[in-house]
Amino acid sequence: MDEDCVEISMTNDVQEIASLAARIDEFCESRGIGPMIANAVNVSLDELLTNTIDYGYDDEGLHQIGIVLSRQADKLVVEIDDDSRAFDPSGSPPEVDLDAPLEDRPIGGLGLFLVHELMDSVDYRRTDGRNVVTLKKHLID
Amino acid sequence: MDIVESKENAVFVMEPKGRLDSANARNFEERVLAALEKGENALLIDFDKLDYISSAGLRVLLMGAKRLQQSGGTIVLCALSPSIHEVFEISGFLTIFTVHSDRAAALAAMG
Repeated sequence: MDEDCVEISMTNDVQEIASLAARIDEFCESRGIGPMIANAVNVSLDELLTNTIDYGYDDEGLHQIGIVLSRQADKLVVEIDDDSRAFDPSGSPPEVDLDAPLEDRPIGGLGLFLVHELMDSVDYRRTDGRNVVTLKKHLID
Repeated sequence: MDIVESKENAVFVMEPKGRLDSANARNFEERVLAALEKGENALLIDFDKLDYISSAGLRVLLMGAKRLQQSGGTIVLCALSPSIHEVFEISGFLTIFTVHSDRAAALAAMG
């Protein structure tokens, strides 16, 4: 059986995240995957890609980032492949005190926390000088 | 990103449209800071036309809320879509921010 998947390529420019999001929305919509799941994937990708693009490269050059979306029986799998510095986002991010009053909430530090909360799993491997991050989200909207 | 601004009595209303993400959060931040510098101290951010927010957008809201708290002002949000509501809930922002169902309800409560 052929896997139901789509490959998207982008460069290290945060302005491209909006068009990536449009492709993801379209992928989900055409397969009956609800908007809550599409949004969870988009927020997670946005956080990871922004981190990579802003902090991951040692030069100012153009870099390719590959994204593969695949629909499996009961889950959506997203693989992100880039050649930035090794960075493993799969470990538990620092705890965020969700009950802290406004004055004690730090500005920032929510990005990776959101990825781990929104996705069912976050896995990482380093292969041939590339980072490969795999996100999985169960399809229960 | 397009942000429509208006004044409803003492309330300064900002209505961002489309996506609020890392590519345009700085623009949103500048507009919020400009409103605060003008002395606006009752801010309503109407999310009715907002499709998407990332942590970069949440960060700007938190910064605005902290500033307004220090100056004795208020910030209120309204019309969160279900997916934006989920992101707020996970982030613990529903306990920090007052959220109303729509602009009319928010203005009535702020009046």
